[in-house]
Amino acid sequence: MKQSFVFSGSGGQGIMSAGITLAQTAIDMGKHATYLPEYGPEQRGGSAKCTVVISDDTIVSPLPKMCDHLIVMNEQAYAKFIDDLKPEGLLLANEARIKDEIERDDVFCIKANVDDIAQQLGNEKAANVVLIGILIGATDVVSREVFAKSLEEKFKDKKPGILEMNLAALEKGIAIGKAHKDERKA
Amino acid sequence: MAEYKRSQLLADSPSGYCPGCLHGLATKLIAEVIDELGQADNSLNVISVGCSALNILYWGGDFLSVAHGRAPAAATGIKRVNPERLVFAYQGDGDLAAIGLAEIMSAANRGENFTVIFANNQTYGMTGGQMAPTTLIGQKTTTTVYGRDPATTGYPLKMCELISTLEAPRFVARYALNSPKGVSDARKGIKKAFQMQLDGKGFTFIELLTNCPTNWKMTPLQTFDYMNSNTIPYFKPGVYKDTEANG
Amino acid sequence: MGDKRFMKGNEAIAEAAVRGGCRFFAGYPITPQNEIPEYLSWRLPEVGGAFVQGESEVASINMVYGAAAMGTRALTSSSGPGISLKAEGISYLAAAALPAVIVNISRGGPGLGSIQPAQSDYLQATKALGHGGFHAMVLAPNSAQEAADLVYDAWEYAERDRNPVLVLMDGCLGNIMEEVELPPMKELHDEDLPEWSLTRRNGRDWQGNITPIYTELILEGLNAMAGEMYKAWEEDDVKVEEFMLDDAEYVVVAYGIASRVSKEAILKLREEGVKIGMIRPITLFPFPKKSIRNLDFTKVKGIFDIEMTVPAQMREDIELQVMDRCPIYEYGRSGGCLLDDDGVYDAIAEIVKGEDA
Repeated sequence: MKQSFVFSGSGGQGIMSAGITLAQTAIDMGKHATYLPEYGPEQRGGSAKCTVVISDDTIVSPLPKMCDHLIVMNEQAYAKFIDDLKPEGLLLANEARIKDEIERDDVFCIKANVDDIAQQLGNEKAANVVLIGILIGATDVVSREVFAKSLEEKFKDKKPGILEMNLAALEKGIAIGKAHKDERKA
Repeated sequence: MAEYKRSQLLADSPSGYCPGCLHGLATKLIAEVIDELGQADNSLNVISVGCSALNILYWGGDFLSVAHGRAPAAATGIKRVNPERLVFAYQGDGDLAAIGLAEIMSAANRGENFTVIFANNQTYGMTGGQMAPTTLIGQKTTTTVYGRDPATTGYPLKMCELISTLEAPRFVARYALNSPKGVSDARKGIKKAFQMQLDGKGFTFIELLTNCPTNWKMTPLQTFDYMNSNTIPYFKPGVYKDTEANG
Repeated sequence: MGDKRFMKGNEAIAEAAVRGGCRFFAGYPITPQNEIPEYLSWRLPEVGGAFVQGESEVASINMVYGAAAMGTRALTSSSGPGISLKAEGISYLAAAALPAVIVNISRGGPGLGSIQPAQSDYLQATKALGHGGFHAMVLAPNSAQEAADLVYDAWEYAERDRNPVLVLMDGCLGNIMEEVELPPMKELHDEDLPEWSLTRRNGRDWQGNITPIYTELILEGLNAMAGEMYKAWEEDDVKVEEFMLDDAEYVVVAYGIASRVSKEAILKLREEGVKIGMIRPITLFPFPKKSIRNLDFTKVKGIFDIEMTVPAQMREDIELQVMDRCPIYEYGRSGGCLLDDDGVYDAIAEIVKGEDA
């Protein structure tokens, strides 16, 4: 089973770190993964995109043209990459920054205001964790346990409450993802 | 009484430098100072490009011959992996002050712990006497046949003055080799620079005013007079920086 | 237990270099290879090595020249525009018979080009890495793992031949993160230093000198020896991956990132019944001539030269072996636009299926 993910948005939105985290979690589960960042020339605020491929087998090409999952964090990213999503693929759009109607009707779509969710939990930086949570809930591509463990590892030396906030963000995301999956089944 | 003998650092071959050229004297001075410091086996000569490259025939000690202008870069690589060796580069004015300006300024600015000896004879000797970055205003060369004109070629670069403005260098001095006193002072300056390097103090820079009878189209004695009346008034000998002086 | 890490191709190169004995690095910032100097700036001092950020690529390669003369395993890395600046120093390394490793993480060209990945430096790497008509062995990994493996042993070739070795990999593989199993640290001892090195004068009764300047007859002789060395490489050192060639009617020739994208297309075409395989040069110089020359051209109907550059640069090397025995097609992307699975598949399928139809 091979699945590809494209994360896209603008620099500073944590696109790259979301991609690395997803790939790393897959590796921790004993799967294979590649992560390819593509930057514009700007250090800040330019376009940001990364491609993650996760597979049970060795990954031959890390450069798929069409992806199974497209995560877009702003309008520009949506416009630029929506055609690269496979039919029946999953579009995950940051509702806070994408106001337009999603024009494709051959893909599944989750709109979530990850910015707001993260802010309500106390830190907008947790938006990435919400994103991964949604992917975990909707796709089973990586396991909740392994990702939660990596969060524990990452935040164990941080201020009290940070880990808990991130785990809460994860659960919020998973719930959104699950709800979508159930809807699809129904 | 001290015994006067030929340094083992000078190869047992006749010098091919032009008659009256001061490169030979400069080379001998360096060899003798290294002998005095007991560093003959530990020394490493980074040989640059120009007439100085002829040293691959005359230098009897260890050497590494390098690309035009890049001696301070190569010496950086050498010294960073072999800090205990006495490393010096001998560079001419085209090599150091034109094509290698970035390398000398950057090595000096990093405070690399080696010594650069800069032979300034105001011309490209080996290629036939073209204008050098240190060619004096009005001086005739094969590429300034009416004399160097600052309107199109700028002014002679004063390397000691430039390098002494940097924070890192520890000893920066200029000597003229056209008099016994100048030679004697130069010997002391080179020795001081080498000793500072051996003590791990940092970057040291010695400029030697030399001549080029062939391309200046003068007799050796005429070059000495020319240096007194033209070169020395512009490139003033002296110590430009000495972090060891006055405590 | 292996030391397995999820890391960038550039970082894999840097760590494998250290483990392969590299103790000196000099370089100048340029995208997309910056992770190599950044990593080595803290890693080399940990193992007693030295790192210098040079004032230019020109200075950096000459710092490597100096360190290499001392017998130290020295490395520099850059991308196309910087490799052009290093050309002088690489030529001097070859002239002075000094071993060193140069890494080119290539990007779009010519000129400043683009900072995005491209395979635009094949010709520079294999034909004229500097003036004077010398060659360096050119290694072209197609994964972070292979990059680590090839860099790890690059100094063994460089020291055996007393000649620089170039590692050519595009910015895509430089920046991709993949699993890498790192090799163990090589133990190097002072007594292993090459006997020609200028390290220790004490106790040596001969003058140590290294020079890139020679008199005419000696230079001619050295050039002839270099020519023999290049021929020996062709016999002994060619590295190539041959994939599904046995019954192949079509053969892709691709290296580096292009080989991975091509392999994906080949696997899909095989599922559809197309008899297609691939020759992947791992050494670009020496080029795997025999793999192409000895193909069964009674069966092979076409060769595809797939590269992430336009026009294809490897084509002439392929043509010299195909000798008009079948058509050669080329497909590529350029300027920083990346190859992708569908693009390569479509380009091949158009020819293959068009012909069969």
